Amino acid sequence: MAAGAAGGGSWRMGAAERRGRGAETLFRGLLFCVLGCGFCWGNSVERKIYIPLNKTAPCVRLLNATHQIGCQSSMNGDTGVIHVVEKDQDLKWVLTDGPHPPYMVLLEGELFTRELMLQLKGSSRISGLAVAISKPSPAQGFSPGLKCPNDGFGVYSNDYGPQYAHCNGTVWNPLGNGLAYEDFNFPIFLLEDANETQVIKQCYHDHNLPQNGSVPEYPLCAMQLFAHMHAVTNTVTCMRRSSLQTAFSLNPEEVCDALSDYNVWSTLKPINASSKIDPMDEVIIVATRIDSHSFFWNVAPGAESAVASFVTHLAAAEALHKVPDVKTLPRNIMFTFFQGETFDYIGSSRMVYDMEIDKFPIRLDNIYSFLELSQVALRDSSVLWVHTDPVSLRNESIQPQVKTLVEALMTSSVGANVSLQEVNQSQPLPPSSFQRFLRAKHIPGVVLADHRSSFQNRYYQSMYDTAENILMKYPEGLSPEETLDYVTDTAKSLAEVATVVARALYQLAGGTGNTSAIQADPRTVSRMLYGFLIKTNNSWFQSIIKQDLKGLLGDELPQHYIAVTQLVNTTQLVQYVLANLTGTVVNFTKEECLNPEKTPNPEKEMYVYTWAQGSRDPNSTSRVPFCVRSTVHLSKAASPAFELKQWGSTEYSTWTESRWKDIRARIFLVASKELEIITLVVGIAILILSLLATYFINAKAHVLFSSSGDAGAVAY
Amino acid sequence: LRKSGKCLGGGSQVPSSPVRGASRGRGRSGLPPGGGCNGLLSGVRGVWAPRLTPLLLPPAARGAGASMNLERVPNEEKLNLCRKYYLGGFALLPFLWLVNVLWFCREAFLAPAYTEQPQIKSYVQRSALGLLFWVVVLTTWVTIFQTHRARWGELGDYLSFTIPLGIP
Repeated sequence: MAAGAAGGGSWRMGAAERRGRGAETLFRGLLFCVLGCGFCWGNSVERKIYIPLNKTAPCVRLLNATHQIGCQSSMNGDTGVIHVVEKDQDLKWVLTDGPHPPYMVLLEGELFTRELMLQLKGSSRISGLAVAISKPSPAQGFSPGLKCPNDGFGVYSNDYGPQYAHCNGTVWNPLGNGLAYEDFNFPIFLLEDANETQVIKQCYHDHNLPQNGSVPEYPLCAMQLFAHMHAVTNTVTCMRRSSLQTAFSLNPEEVCDALSDYNVWSTLKPINASSKIDPMDEVIIVATRIDSHSFFWNVAPGAESAVASFVTHLAAAEALHKVPDVKTLPRNIMFTFFQGETFDYIGSSRMVYDMEIDKFPIRLDNIYSFLELSQVALRDSSVLWVHTDPVSLRNESIQPQVKTLVEALMTSSVGANVSLQEVNQSQPLPPSSFQRFLRAKHIPGVVLADHRSSFQNRYYQSMYDTAENILMKYPEGLSPEETLDYVTDTAKSLAEVATVVARALYQLAGGTGNTSAIQADPRTVSRMLYGFLIKTNNSWFQSIIKQDLKGLLGDELPQHYIAVTQLVNTTQLVQYVLANLTGTVVNFTKEECLNPEKTPNPEKEMYVYTWAQGSRDPNSTSRVPFCVRSTVHLSKAASPAFELKQWGSTEYSTWTESRWKDIRARIFLVASKELEIITLVVGIAILILSLLATYFINAKAHVLFSSSGDAGAVAY
Repeated sequence: LRKSGKCLGGGSQVPSSPVRGASRGRGRSGLPPGGGCNGLLSGVRGVWAPRLTPLLLPPAARGAGASMNLERVPNEEKLNLCRKYYLGGFALLPFLWLVNVLWFCREAFLAPAYTEQPQIKSYVQRSALGLLFWVVVLTTWVTIFQTHRARWGELGDYLSFTIPLGIP
C-alpha cells in the first residue's frame, strides 16, 4: 500500500518531510471516504425526483397455443402525463382534447369496464393505465373472465353433446366481459393502496389540472410503468425460442414458462402410492379446485370460486376420518384437490393422462363414481343443486349409478340445513374437473353447486371475489386470535354442506352404520376460511407447518394463483391442513419422522410422515413439535402438452406465462420537450466550444505561455 | 550505450540521442529518450517475441519507422502486396478488398507512373468491383432479413443468432 510504503520509508526522511507525507495520506484517506460515501448519498437525488409506487400489481402476458393475452410495455417503461378519470366525460380529454399526449390514465375501479377498455385499446394517445381498486366492490358485479369458462377443453364438443358446446344451452358466467383474455399493448397496473392513489391524485391536482379552462403548463406530473414482457405471439413460438436458446446459445435467455404446480390427493384407506391398486378395487373420487385468477398478476382471492369449495372438502375429509369403521369400508375414497383448473383444467387433465398411461396408482377403471364440489358458498335459501351430464345419462349402465349417487345425497341431507335439488336433465354440466374425466371414460358423477343455471358469483375470477363476497362478517374489535376462532355464519353454512357430503360418501363407500354421528366441525371450517382468505400467518397454521418454512405464511391477503414456481403457498398449506385434519399423531422423533425409510415398519410405504412444529404454549416461547402420519400425496399438475411437446395442442391446456426482468412504477415531474431539446443543444454547443478553445490554446501555447529566458531543464 | 539484442517485431536498433539541455521547442516525436527499438511493436515490452509480420507488411518497411507507409517500399513489393490482398479477398473476405482499395488507391491513381502501376491499378479496380458486389449482396440480405424475419416464424427463429425479446 502506498501509505505503508510511505510510512516505511519515512524514517529515513526528515521530520518536516514526514509531516508532509502524513498530511498527504490523511488527505487521500479523507478523499477516499468522501467518494465512497458519496456513492450511497448520491441516491438522495433520485429520491427527490421519483416517488416509487410499491403496492401495485401488474398485468402480465399469458400465452396459449394460439393467442397472447395480457399487457406489454416498452423495454424502458412507458411514460405519460397523468390524467385522473373519475367519470366518463373525463375520458374525452385523454382521447381527443388533451394537448400533451400520451397520457397515463388513473381510472376509478367502477369505470373499469369492457367498453372503456376497448376505447382505450384503439387509441394511440394512451401510454398506460393504472386502476384504483374500488372499495366497496362494484355493485353491478365485475368478472374479467370469459362468459363460457374453459370452453373447448371440457367434455362438450361437436362430437359429444354439440347442443351444449360453447355454452349454447346455458351461459355460465353472464357477467363475464372477457377483459382478462384481451391483448393490450400498454401496461396496466392495479393500485392496491388507497394512500398511494391519493398521492397520485394530489400530484395531479397540483400540476395537471386545467386552471380556469386554460391548458396546464409544464412541468406536469407523469407516471412511468415498467412491465416489459419477453414472450410473444403464442406458446408455440415462445417455447420454440426458449428451447433454441437453451440448446444453442452461450447465454440462454428463456422467454416463457409453463403454468404448473402440484395436485394434492389423499385416500381414506391407505394405499401404496408407488404401485397400482388392485383392478377390482373401487374408488370414489371427490374433487375441488384450489386456484383462481383475475386480470392482474398474482391477485386471485378466489373466495367463492375456489376457497369455499376446498374448505368444505377439507371439512368433509376430516369428518369422514373420524368415523371408527372407515378402515373396513368396501370402497375407498380419494380426496383430490386440483391445481390449475382455471387455465383449461391443467391439474385434472394431467391426472387423467397419468391414469391413462398407468403412471398413477389408480386407473380409470377403478373409479366407481365422482363427486365434485363446485362453487357452494352462496346458496340461495339453502338450496344446493345437483348437476349431472345429460349425454352420459343416456347410457344404461351409468344412469342407475347416478341415481344411487343422487339418492345417497338426498338421504344425507335430511336433518341438515341443506336442501338438495336436481337440475333439469337437459342442462349440461357447469365447468368442472369432472368434465375431463368424462372425456376419457363415462363415469357416473355429479357436480354440486349453489347455482341452478348461471353462476351466483358476480365476481367470478376477479379481484373482488374476497371474503366479503361470501358474506363472511366478523364483529368489530376482535383480536386476531379471537377472529381466528370466531364461527361465522358462512362457516356454519359450509359445515352443513360438508356434513351432507361426508354422510353421502360414507353411504356410497358401502358404510352401513348410522350416519347421523358424522358431522363437520364449523369451528374448523371457520379457522380454515380465516387462514385462506384473511391471514395465513395465524397460530393454527403456524402450528401445523414444518419449522423451516417460515416464508410460507404472510400477513397480506392470501392469493391463489397457480404461478410458474413449484409448490405455491396454497398447495403447501392445503397439503399441511389435510395431513393435520385427516392424519394421526405418532410417537416418532424428528429424525424418524423426516427419514421414515430408516425405521423398520411394514406399513411405511402406505403413509407419509410430516413433521409439524406444534403450537406455542401461552407462557413459554418454545413449541412442542409432533409427527403426523397421513396419506396425503402430491401429484404433478403440469399440462400433458408440455410432456408430449405438443405446444400447439387443442386437446390439453397450453397456458404459459411470459418472463420479465423488471416490474415497477413511479411518478415524477416531467418537463416539456422544448426544454429538453434546448438543454441538449446547449450542452452540445458548450462541448464544441470547449473543444475549439482547447485546440486554439494548445496551438498558440508558445505565444500564450512563453516566458523570457530559458525554462530550466527541459524534460524532453 | 548501445543495447545489444533483438528488437520485437523486427524493428531495428536506434542509437540513443544525447539529452540536450537548454533546447527550446518541441522534441522530436516518436523516438524514446534512451536507445531502443522502433518498428511495429516497439512499444511492446516482454520476453515473447513472435515474428508477427511475415506477410502482411512490406519487409522493407520493417526498418522504415512508420509501418503502413508505402513511401520507401520498392515497387515490386507493392505489387506483391496488392496481389496478395486481391487474391486473399476471394476467400470470402471482402474486408481485404476494402483495405486493398483504400491502401493502394493513391498508389494506383494519384502517384506518378512507374512500371508496376498498371497492374496495381487493375488489381485495385477488380478489388473495388468485388467489394461493390459484396456490399450489394449483404445490404440486400440484411434488409430482407430485418423486414421479414417476424413473418417467417419458425425459419426466422432458426436463422437468428439473437432473437429480440418481447416483439414478434
